[in-house]
Amino acid sequence: MAESTVLQFSPFQSHVEEGFWKRLSSLKLNTLGLDETPVKITGFYGPCSHAQVSSHLYLLDESLPANLAEESSSSEMVLGNRNRCPIPGTLYNTNTLESFRGLDKQSLIRKEAKKIWEEICSGRVEAACAVLSRFLVISYADLKKWTFHYWFAFPALVLNPSALVSKLQPASEWFNLEEGKSLSEACNEWRKSSLTAVPFFLVIITADSHVTLRPLKDWETCQRDGHKLLFGFYDPCHLPSNPGWPLRNFLAFICSRCKIEKIQFLCYRERHGLADLTHSLVGEALVSISQEWKNPQFIPEAVGWERNGSKLAPRRIDLATSMDPIRLAMSAADLNLKLMRWRALPSLNLDKLSATKCLLLGAGTLGCQVARMLMAWGIKKITLVDNGRVSMSNPLRQSLYTLEDCLNGGDWKADAAVRSLKSIFPGVEAEGFTFAIPMPGHPVQAKETAGVLEDCRRLQNLISSHDVIFLLTDTRESRWLPTLLCTNANKLAITAALGFDSYVVMRHGAGVSADDKDASFSVCSSGIEGHESRRLGCYFCNDVVAPNDSTSNRTLDQQCTVTRPGLAPIASALAVELMIGILHHPEGMNAPGEMASSISESSSQPLGILPHQIRGSLSQFSQMVLVGSSFNRCTACSNLVVSEYRRRELEFVIQALNHPNYLEDLTGLTELMDKARSFNLDWEEDDETDIETVL
Amino acid sequence: MKMASPCDGTLSPTEFKFAAEALMKKWEECKSILHPWIWIPCPKLPFGAPDKAGGYLSLEHIHHFEFKKQQDCIEQKYSEEEVEALDSATLVLSGENETHYYNFHIIYSTSYKVPVLFFRGYHQGGQPLKCDEVEKDLPLYTSKLLEESKWTFITQEEHPYLNCPWFTLHPCGTSEWMRLLLQQRLYSSRPEDLCSHYLVAWFSVVGQVIGLWAPLNLVHCSSSSSSSDTFCSHT
Repeated sequence: MAESTVLQFSPFQSHVEEGFWKRLSSLKLNTLGLDETPVKITGFYGPCSHAQVSSHLYLLDESLPANLAEESSSSEMVLGNRNRCPIPGTLYNTNTLESFRGLDKQSLIRKEAKKIWEEICSGRVEAACAVLSRFLVISYADLKKWTFHYWFAFPALVLNPSALVSKLQPASEWFNLEEGKSLSEACNEWRKSSLTAVPFFLVIITADSHVTLRPLKDWETCQRDGHKLLFGFYDPCHLPSNPGWPLRNFLAFICSRCKIEKIQFLCYRERHGLADLTHSLVGEALVSISQEWKNPQFIPEAVGWERNGSKLAPRRIDLATSMDPIRLAMSAADLNLKLMRWRALPSLNLDKLSATKCLLLGAGTLGCQVARMLMAWGIKKITLVDNGRVSMSNPLRQSLYTLEDCLNGGDWKADAAVRSLKSIFPGVEAEGFTFAIPMPGHPVQAKETAGVLEDCRRLQNLISSHDVIFLLTDTRESRWLPTLLCTNANKLAITAALGFDSYVVMRHGAGVSADDKDASFSVCSSGIEGHESRRLGCYFCNDVVAPNDSTSNRTLDQQCTVTRPGLAPIASALAVELMIGILHHPEGMNAPGEMASSISESSSQPLGILPHQIRGSLSQFSQMVLVGSSFNRCTACSNLVVSEYRRRELEFVIQALNHPNYLEDLTGLTELMDKARSFNLDWEEDDETDIETVL
Repeated sequence: MKMASPCDGTLSPTEFKFAAEALMKKWEECKSILHPWIWIPCPKLPFGAPDKAGGYLSLEHIHHFEFKKQQDCIEQKYSEEEVEALDSATLVLSGENETHYYNFHIIYSTSYKVPVLFFRGYHQGGQPLKCDEVEKDLPLYTSKLLEESKWTFITQEEHPYLNCPWFTLHPCGTSEWMRLLLQQRLYSSRPEDLCSHYLVAWFSVVGQVIGLWAPLNLVHCSSSSSSSDTFCSHT
């Protein structure tokens, strides 16, 4: 530069590491609370070490004291190292966004500038020169959204008139070859030594081209010695025509303390940890000491609020993904499933699983286990229906409940279950409904009719708005209406039922379509009733009596509340795994039932065979895989029943609820039974066995 | 140090430390344009036995240059008078190219018995990069590799010491391909060399995936100059 121009400084840039915000959050939560007293912090910076990128002033987690008691006891600054010169700063943390925005920025920067000015005048700068770069930060921590609003200010004392630059060139051009070599050596020595965490220093060049670096406090002696003197500093800036921000206050110090108006400075920059003389700059600044400065009361103006881009505005950082525990839990769960897919089961369709909506009818031993298992598979939408309250014996066998839920008469199971699911995995979309499923054999009083119809409608709506329905209730008859509704709506229904030491888990066959040809099937003379070979059976397809009230005269093995505890987890797990298999099968619900022996089928599906029914016994520790076809006289899923339901809807349902014989008549079971009884068998009278239901 | 089990691709915690030192030394020798790896000794983990590996390798503040300027999200405009008067001595920088900063850690995994690369990226100023932003920074061939290979994929995991999520190249396949890599050397070098060579060999694969080029001579033990790369160093 030929003539003198105003020296323009490149502003400091901030970089705040996550650790700083984390520590601030915990300080705020544990110690600060609503206290808005300024907090002493430490920033760190080192000389620029890259031709294209400036270095920043960093805030790390060590920038904040771990606890505030620590802060007041030690006035020593945090130890730095060669790349991290510690710089003192002040943090003003506010409690609301409004107060953050309302802070008086001009007065804050003036306050810090005053500290700097006083430290210059008192001579403190010579002892601890890092204070020349003192800075401040204002912040607001939104600990609900994990976002942090902040704004840095690097106060620079304004020189009036502005400093002019008469020369600015790469150091390699300014120094001669010998000097340059000596300077490099001296700098590298200096940087390796323990003195290095000091960003301002003196460069002395003797007549014989020997260069030494000295601390600022030696400036008087150095001046007296009469050698060439440069004022050096770690320059964070990388630009070839501009020095970095720290030079501003350095110039203010030099002209007011050392009383020098023609200042030669060295912008020290590095490359690969060593002095880089082509990148470093040497310049000459012309500063005029104004009269005002001689006035002891005077405090210079200061500028230095950090720009966001090119605008004077605060910054905001969003750390929800790494600090919000709910997000962290969700991404961990996601990872678990993805690993399964990557390593073991590439055909696993995780998107389909997380989009599948499951309805669980019953929130007891089976319902709780099924719900947990579904979450483990990544199912997000789970709805539970139960009409009971949590009772004292429940938490032992029903894995979603705790003692808390039993108190004060017990919470509604559906609600308690939803709460529990959310506490296990916050990302679940769980909903609970408390109402009873209407059951045949439990007649409806006239005044209750409206309520029961309402419950039927609710059940209908729930079934139509979900993809998979689990029938997990504790009576046979309560499974009738859901089975019918699922068949009608062609929704996948999975039943799990328990005996004392046995269980059955099965998927119901697909729904009946309006034009199903198997409406009627005449009784064969051989007495063997024909079964539809295409559609798989439902829970009731093996029965020849309609569901009736089973609660009043229950035999021991029908009371599934008294079952071996191991059964429910086994049956529930099988029910969920069965569902996963169905969801991954190309034919889905319509897939034929497979048995273990069907090797050709099983090898094609990565998850294994897709059974229709699994019946197990704990007394034998055994399990069987069975296939059953749908029965064309089934009281729940046959075309006879479904078409009647479609014709008369809820009127039909009420009739079935009040008169179970009606179903038997409708399906022709009555007729069948009569025929069976009248069948002339060639054995003794007293050997006649009643045809009873199987499970 | 003689490797206890050179044949299965894994290494013990003490072997890891040894291998780490060897990597650091070799890296410096080769005068990479990236600055050296630093060993961070570990504090004792709160539960269980102290970490036998004793620490991990760290390479921080690596730049990745982005050639689009990101949009600043400025919520409220402040007038100049409200904040401070315009100052003639301040250089106001107009549209700068955005730089991303990356930190890399090589940490020993006790369950898989192999080193794992953890990495995290940031915008200028400190906002962490999201997964899709990181993926954009990766070399083009990597995204293809990540989709196809069952041995390399990026997951987000909790950093074992820093208590926040970092990206990692999942280690489950590492022992398999390390075994293959080491087998070649098994016959040509002494067993002692195998251990010191472990991390160098490992890094030659992993570094490429991330676009963090190892200097060419790191693997070949010759002193040629290093190639230019996607990432540059910033101390």
